[in-house]
Amino acid sequence: MPEDQQAERVRELVGAMSPLGARTVTSSDRVVDDLGYDSVAILELALALEVEFDLQAIAEDQAVDLLTVGDIEQLVGQLARKPA
Amino acid sequence: MTITTGPVSGEILDILDDPAPSRPAAGNTPDRSTLPGALALYARWEKGQWSVGDVRVERDRETWAALRPFAERELGDALTELEVGEVCVTRTLSALVDHAPTDDDRIYLCTQLADEGRHVRFFQEYLTTAAGIELDSALDEASAYGQLFEPQLVAATSRVRESGGDRGAWYEALVGYHLITEGVLAAAALRTTRVLAQRYGLHALHEGLGNVARDESRHLTYGLMAARRGVDDGEHRELIARCYLSGAELAARVMVNPHKKAITPVMTAALHARARQLTAQWQVGLDRAVRQLRLIGLPGLRDDVERSWSAAQRRALAEYRERWDTEHPVVLAA
Ligand SMILES: [Fe+2]
Ligand SMILES: [Fe+2]
Repeated sequence: MPEDQQAERVRELVGAMSPLGARTVTSSDRVVDDLGYDSVAILELALALEVEFDLQAIAEDQAVDLLTVGDIEQLVGQLARKPA
Repeated sequence: MTITTGPVSGEILDILDDPAPSRPAAGNTPDRSTLPGALALYARWEKGQWSVGDVRVERDRETWAALRPFAERELGDALTELEVGEVCVTRTLSALVDHAPTDDDRIYLCTQLADEGRHVRFFQEYLTTAAGIELDSALDEASAYGQLFEPQLVAATSRVRESGGDRGAWYEALVGYHLITEGVLAAAALRTTRVLAQRYGLHALHEGLGNVARDESRHLTYGLMAARRGVDDGEHRELIARCYLSGAELAARVMVNPHKKAITPVMTAALHARARQLTAQWQVGLDRAVRQLRLIGLPGLRDDVERSWSAAQRRALAEYRERWDTEHPVVLAA
């Protein structure tokens, strides 16, 4: 999946799974403050992303804070398995 | 009157409330001297009837079908554990009824047997009708309670029968049954599952679990009262303390559940969220195990229970690593 298409799909998922109700989101939206994600919702989102993009485990030192939707787009870009 | 709605409150010992063992008894948490007797519990049972049919489990069908995979797995696993536990108790409780110490105890325990039958019906109805999950032997095999605890409870209740009602064997089964299965494991599971039911808008489940929890509060109260009697008679004090410790160890292992691969998110933020969730659930179990001690007259056992619990937890986590060749998410996140 091309990167911009992938980022768009991430935004769709993050918007659809927002605890505040499905909505359109932008890369600068903050996951917790603007979109109402709590720890259970983050968990649900992460597992949905894993399934959708076949993510590989992240090394502890690569960990990034997931502050905005853009952070998630970036992370998925790094972790998504590229077809061999 | 049929009670099917409303919060679980005003119960003698509400198993859904927040245990706070470090704080002194407050509000309606009874002191060991104020626990009601078997007759009073019978009277509560008469007034607290509810019916599985009135919960109308089918109204959750659509909401359940729309659950995301994480929620579906969490809830499905939790309900399976509860169903397996309830089936197990309906198969074993009659040994305690037959050899009850007094007629009042027996009459009360008969009401509990009826409750447990109702709980099995509720969970089975819910699983098959609302969740569309088949009831088969696979459920039993996937259940931590079924694999790890049930054999102990079956053995303990068999000893009650084989000994013709030996009082020590009776207390041993009572501790495993009322204090550990109901007071620690079921209480923690009902609480977590009911929070999830509310979160996902599963109204029938929320209501049904509230009804079950009200019954279980009564069962636990009986267990505490009966165990206290055994502790006070002097003769069974040591035995009850010993059974309590080994029961708490087993409960810690059931909660870690090394037999089952745990959800382990690859994204760090989610992994930490998962670890916090699990640790909080385990802590509820330990808090309950500790809090009951005061009520049964064994407050001095607290340190031992805490030590045994964390040792059992560490062993279960090591067992998990052995079995799955990877660390448990709680260890990974630490
Ligand atoms: Fe029950
Ligand atoms: Fe019960």
